[in-house]
Amino acid sequence: MTPRERIRKAMDFEPVDAIPWAENFYVETVSRFFSQGLPANEVMITDWKMEGYTLLNWPTFIGVDANSYFGCINFFGCVLPVDLATIPRFKQRKVGEDAKYEEYIMESGARSRIPKKGSRETTWYAMPQFYSFPVSDRNSWERYKERLNPEDLRRYPKDWDPDAYSEVFDQYQVGPTCLAMTGFYGFGAELMGIPNFNLAFYKDPELIRDMITHWEYLTIETTREAVEALRDKIDMVFWWEDMAEKHGPNISPKLYREFLLPHYKKVTAFLNKNSIRRIMMDSDGNTQPILDLVIEAGITGHWPLEVNSGMDVRLLRKRYGNKLFLSGNLDKREIAKGGQHMRNEIDSKLLPMKETGGYIVGLDHLVHVEFTVQRFKEYADYIKTKLAME
Amino acid sequence: MRLKDVLGEISTALANLEGAEKVQSLIEDALSQNIPVSEIVEKGLRPGLRQVGAKYETGEYFLAELLFAASILDEVMRFMKPKLDAQPMRKIGTILLGTVRGDMHDIGKNVFKMIAVSTGFEVNDLNVDVDPELFVQQSKQTGPDILGLSCLLTTALPEINVVIDLLRQSKIRDRVKVLIGGNAVTKEYAREVGADAAALDAVEGVDFCRGAVKS
Repeated sequence: MTPRERIRKAMDFEPVDAIPWAENFYVETVSRFFSQGLPANEVMITDWKMEGYTLLNWPTFIGVDANSYFGCINFFGCVLPVDLATIPRFKQRKVGEDAKYEEYIMESGARSRIPKKGSRETTWYAMPQFYSFPVSDRNSWERYKERLNPEDLRRYPKDWDPDAYSEVFDQYQVGPTCLAMTGFYGFGAELMGIPNFNLAFYKDPELIRDMITHWEYLTIETTREAVEALRDKIDMVFWWEDMAEKHGPNISPKLYREFLLPHYKKVTAFLNKNSIRRIMMDSDGNTQPILDLVIEAGITGHWPLEVNSGMDVRLLRKRYGNKLFLSGNLDKREIAKGGQHMRNEIDSKLLPMKETGGYIVGLDHLVHVEFTVQRFKEYADYIKTKLAME
Repeated sequence: MRLKDVLGEISTALANLEGAEKVQSLIEDALSQNIPVSEIVEKGLRPGLRQVGAKYETGEYFLAELLFAASILDEVMRFMKPKLDAQPMRKIGTILLGTVRGDMHDIGKNVFKMIAVSTGFEVNDLNVDVDPELFVQQSKQTGPDILGLSCLLTTALPEINVVIDLLRQSKIRDRVKVLIGGNAVTKEYAREVGADAAALDAVEGVDFCRGAVKS
């Protein structure tokens, strides 16, 4: 089996020759790995490109592929190139500073504070601190909506050609092909900030209804052409939400049912109609109180299943059977300790999940900077000996 | 409406998230019956808030409901401010609060702060990315009952230990209860570093603070 065939079968609860192993790396983790000996020449990707200014083709840095180096799958290795974000973006720029911080307008329009470079060692994912958001009420939402127009031609790439992309998707075999989307909670929280978005469910429910209805329209109508053209070549949907914390979901099952569920159902019906049935929700935190509704919404998979928030892949499998394929749940804190801690964590989860199928093994979040490259290599070397089915 | 009824109604309206307008109108009823502001707060609003906390703990309410309850309280407290200024409430304790160095997250900390203030604590919030020395200096200067350290990132977790060590070196560790909270903390970690408690959510944190000042 190719890695792509393997992960598709795992998501479908079909027999596999080995459990797929998937990870996502923070940019800073990889950067730190370089300083600890990760060979740049083996992970840097370059290609000949027209750089966008002239007709000249020229070797260009495309990015970094740490997944292939360590032997794990990347969910985002081959993503449908449809832009579901703010168009035009806000021009990201510095708008102020003091002795310790710089202040920026981000591309979403939010304002943030970031510690000055060199002031001390910091981690990018700890930052920035968002202190104001572009949507606060009906008027600001109406203005923002103009940047969320699905008809905008810039939502598709300059090289958009369904046949050419179809060929690329067919050839890709090192992981799943993916449609990446932002969910109804994640989008609102990103534009209003979590506290204000949550409060608006009570204080201005009509605003929430309008925002979510528009997001459904943007999601379906923006992706329609690509989804209908590539349909069965899209292996999975990666639906970012981040709608829970350690205690539970940020909104109650009651609010989820009333405000979000009908819109999820419309999007998943559209995807299903186009033969896309593997739909994975990305949410940190303890999502358990809403998982019945998530399944009712048409979502069929869940990542990353944070251990620190009480998620346990073995219990979830008992509770939900093959209604949800599961991905992640190796406690990053135990794995980063290495040695017996790492081996115990893998053995205690991977072995029982081999029995049930429908599992993609991996950490319960992105690969954090606590990992040294040596510890991550130790983890990679061990887990690869455990993936094959007996 | 009799005295006992109106205070109970205030409590129920807040606990059921019936909105600031409804709670405010019940407070007006109570004031028209010459019920002192302190009694409205102690026997109407605070029991209501405790019920909100209980509903959160049992999984009936979630973050959105906590935030809405806090916003109702904020609105009615602003309405009552002139009367409160005339009859100041006794604070039940003081909390020095902040997110540790290297961590810019503040939502959990702010929810904790809202509930703590509504419960009657005076909170001195140092914001996020706070240097350990500042926690210690402020602890010396203001003598809080509780020092609340928030931390979401596992990478910033060792900062909690740094603060507690500095408190020890400054010989003030035994003068303040240290409460840690946020996604990265665990009860086990609290024991490991010698914190007095780890709160897994804002409601549990405020419960600890109430207990700490009582003892």
